[in-house]
Amino acid sequence: MNCEVCQLKELEVEHFEIREVLRCILHTIVFHRALGLVRPKDVDLELFEITYVQCGDVELEKKIDERIDHFISWVEKHPNKKSQICLSFYEVKSKQPSWFTNKTERLYWEQWYVNLNVTQHPKHHSSKSHHTKVVVDPGESAIEERSSRRAMVEASIREVLFQIIKFVNEKKDHVPPISEGVIYFPYEITIPSSSDSAFGMDMIKRMLHSGHPTMLS
Amino acid sequence: MEMDRESGKLEQIVSQFRSKILHVILDSRVPSLHQQQQESLSLSRVRKTDKWFNLVLGDRPPALENLNFSLRNLLDPMVIDIILVRHGSCSSSVDNLYVPSAAAAAAAAGPSIETVIERWVVQYDCPRVFATPSGADAAVSYKKIYKKCILLLRSLYTQMRLLPAYIIFRQLSSLSQTYNFDLVYKVSSFSHPFSREEEDGMKVYSFAPVEALPGCLCVSVTYHASLSDFNLEPLVSLPPKIITDYVGSPTTDPMRSFPSSERGAHATSFPLRGLRPPSSAPFQRPHSWSSGFHRGIPPTRTQSLAGSPPVYRTSPKPYDITSPPTDLYGNRIQNHRVSTLQQATAFDEYKLSPPFSPSASPSTPTYLSGANPLLTRHCSETAPVTIPLPLTGRSTRYLSPNSSDPSRHSLPPLSPRSSKHDASSQESPSGIRSYRKLEALRAGESPSGLSNLYSAPKVVRDSKDDSGRFSGLLSSSGSPRIGFSRSSSRLSFQDDMDDCEFSCPFDVDDVDVSDSSSQNTESKRASEFTAQSNLVGKKSQDAAVGILVHMLRTAPPLRQDSSCYSTHSLRTEYEGGVGIASGFFMPRKTADALEELNSYREMKDLLLSKSGMK
Repeated sequence: MNCEVCQLKELEVEHFEIREVLRCILHTIVFHRALGLVRPKDVDLELFEITYVQCGDVELEKKIDERIDHFISWVEKHPNKKSQICLSFYEVKSKQPSWFTNKTERLYWEQWYVNLNVTQHPKHHSSKSHHTKVVVDPGESAIEERSSRRAMVEASIREVLFQIIKFVNEKKDHVPPISEGVIYFPYEITIPSSSDSAFGMDMIKRMLHSGHPTMLS
Repeated sequence: MEMDRESGKLEQIVSQFRSKILHVILDSRVPSLHQQQQESLSLSRVRKTDKWFNLVLGDRPPALENLNFSLRNLLDPMVIDIILVRHGSCSSSVDNLYVPSAAAAAAAAGPSIETVIERWVVQYDCPRVFATPSGADAAVSYKKIYKKCILLLRSLYTQMRLLPAYIIFRQLSSLSQTYNFDLVYKVSSFSHPFSREEEDGMKVYSFAPVEALPGCLCVSVTYHASLSDFNLEPLVSLPPKIITDYVGSPTTDPMRSFPSSERGAHATSFPLRGLRPPSSAPFQRPHSWSSGFHRGIPPTRTQSLAGSPPVYRTSPKPYDITSPPTDLYGNRIQNHRVSTLQQATAFDEYKLSPPFSPSASPSTPTYLSGANPLLTRHCSETAPVTIPLPLTGRSTRYLSPNSSDPSRHSLPPLSPRSSKHDASSQESPSGIRSYRKLEALRAGESPSGLSNLYSAPKVVRDSKDDSGRFSGLLSSSGSPRIGFSRSSSRLSFQDDMDDCEFSCPFDVDDVDVSDSSSQNTESKRASEFTAQSNLVGKKSQDAAVGILVHMLRTAPPLRQDSSCYSTHSLRTEYEGGVGIASGFFMPRKTADALEELNSYREMKDLLLSKSGMK
C-alpha cells in the first residue's frame, strides 16, 4: 500500500491565530478520515468567517488541542520560523520482534503536512506608502492593513480547506477498509521537536517503523 | 436471481446516497429545515437513516421523503436548485417596520427576483448494457462503493460550509434580523440550462465520481463565486432598546402617564384585550382581577404589557416584530390601529369593571393626581374604601404613626389583641402573611406589570404589616369588603387566624392606650351606638346588615384585660360613622359587657322592626 502524502499550502499566520487555524485544518482532515458513525459538529472560527466540521469525538478534540499546545510552546521558543505539523494515519500490523523494531508495526498510509509561517509582528507594506500622497492617520492605515491581512489569511485558509477536499476526493483507493466500531483511523500528530535535528530523527524513526521512505512523495 | 439481489443492493446504495445528499444540501441551505433538524438532533438516539454512510443528520424532513418518492427513478438526475429570492425594496415605508418576516415583506413589497445561486446535480451514470459483478467480487465491490460514498459525503458536507451561499443561509437562520431576501429550493429531474448571463460569475466543481459498477455516481455543483452583486442587506429595523421605565418597574411611578405616540405603537397594543380580535385566543387571558389594575395607565401601554404573550413581554424591544407570534400581533395591530382611539373609552370601562382597583392602594393620592383626565375620572369612581378589620397591632407605636398621618386615613385600625398572642404576633400575620402571600401569588399570575404592583414586597414594606394590618394588601384590592371574593384566601386567612387565636373580634388587645379616659368611653359608646342606629335607619336593610356585621367584627372582646386601649387613634380611622370600636379599648367590667350586649339587642330589634315594616 502506498503512502499518500499531501503538502498543504503554506499559511502565514500570527501567533494568536495559530490555535484556530490548526484546529480548523486538523479537524477537517480528521473528519474526512473518521469514516465510522459520526455526528458532525459545525464550529465557527472566531477570527475568520469560516465554518469547519468536527467529527464530534471528545477524546479526539482533547488530543488535538494537546498537540496544538505543544506546537505553540515550540513556536514561542523558536520565533519567526517556518514550521510544519505532520498528521499521519497508519495501520497497526503485528511483526516479528527484532533488535530495532517493536512487535507492532505502523504502516502509514497517508500523511498530511501543514506548513505554517508564524510571524510575530505584522509586516508593514511599505509599497503602499509610495502611492498615497495624502498623509493618512497611522491608526486608520494600521486598521486597514490588518483587515486586508485578515482577509488574505482567510482566503488562504479556504484554499487549504479546498485543497483537502480535493485530495480526499481524488485519492480514495489507498484508504483502508472501515473496521466495525471504529470511528476514525489511528493517527499521529508530529510537531517539531526542540531541535531541528531531533525533528529529522523523528522522521527516521518513522521510516524504520514503516520500512519504506515516507518523506519523499 | 443473484443478479437481482446484487442489483437490489446497488439500487439501495444509490437511492440512499441520493437521499443523503439531498438531506445534507437542504439542511445547509434551507433555514426552516435546518431548524427542524436541530430539534431532532437534540435526541441522542441514532435512527436507521442516520446509519447510512455513517453520517448522523437527524430526522429527514417530510418534504424530503416526498421528493424521494417523486424521484424514485434512479437513472434520472436529481437537480437541486438553491434559489435566492430578493424582494422588492420599499424599506423606506413605515409599514415595513411592522412586518417581521421576509415572506411578509415580500408580500408588502414589489415583485421578487429569483436567482439560482447553486445548482447541485446528482446522477448515476449507467450504460445501457453492462455486466454486473458477482460473488465475492460483488461483495468487495459494494464495500468499496460504500466507503467511497462515505468519503464523498464527508467532503460534500465540508464544502457546503465553504461556499458563499452558506453565509446567506446563516444570516437567514439567525433570528436577530430580518432580510429582504430568502432562500428556497427546487428539486427536479431536469434543469433548464443557465443563460450566458447567468453563467457569468458562476463556477463549477465536480466531485470525483464514485465507481458503482456498472455505472458511477457523479455529483457536481455550479455556484456563484461571489454574492456581493446581489445587494443583500438586512431590513431596516429599530435597534434593540431596553425599556427601563416600563409599567411596573420598581423605579417607575406606576401611575405615571406615558407619552402617546403619533405612530400609534402604544395604541396598537390596546385592541388585543379590549376589542377581542378574532384570533386573539393566545393573547386573551381574561383575569377579572387584572384589568382593574391597569387603570391609571394609558390603555395602550397597559395592554401591551398585559395582553401580550410572554415572548413579547420579555423582549427588550418596544415591540418585538421578528418572532412569529408577534408577527401575528403586528398584523393585528395594523388592522386595529384606526379604531383605537374611539375604543379607548370602552376599553377603560372594560378595564375598570373588575373589583380590583389599584387606586385603593396607599399611593392613591398621587395616583389620582396623574395628568391623564381619563385616569382621574376613573380613579375617582372607585375611590378607596376603608376596610375596618380586626387589628393585630402590638403597641401604640404602631398606632401613632397611623393616627398622625392623614394620608393613612384609609388604613384600617389595629385590632385588639391579647398579650398572650404577642408570641404569635409574628405568626399572626402568618394568617395575614399566608393571605398576603396568596394575594401576591395571585398577583403573580397576572402580567408582569400587574404583578409588580401586587408584589409581596410592596406590601411587606408597609410598616404596618408586622402588626398584622391589612391596609397595604386589602386596600390595594380596592374591595370594600373585609374579605376578598376569593373564598379560598379568605378561608385560609380565617383558619390561620383561628389557629393563632386572634381571629375573635372580641379579643382584648394589650396595647397601652395613653390618652383615653374611662369616663368618656361609656358616653361615647352610647352616643356612637345611637348614631349608628340612626344611620342604620336611614340606609337600606342590606346596608344595615352589613354595618352590623362590621360592628360585630370590630367589636372588642368580651374578655377584659388589664391593659388600656386608646380610643383616640381608632376614632380617627373610621369614616361615615361606621366605626364604633373606639370605646372598646378601655378596661371593661362585666357590667360594661352586659350593657354592650343590650345595645346589640336593641339594634337587632331595630333592624327586625325595620324589616318588618317593609
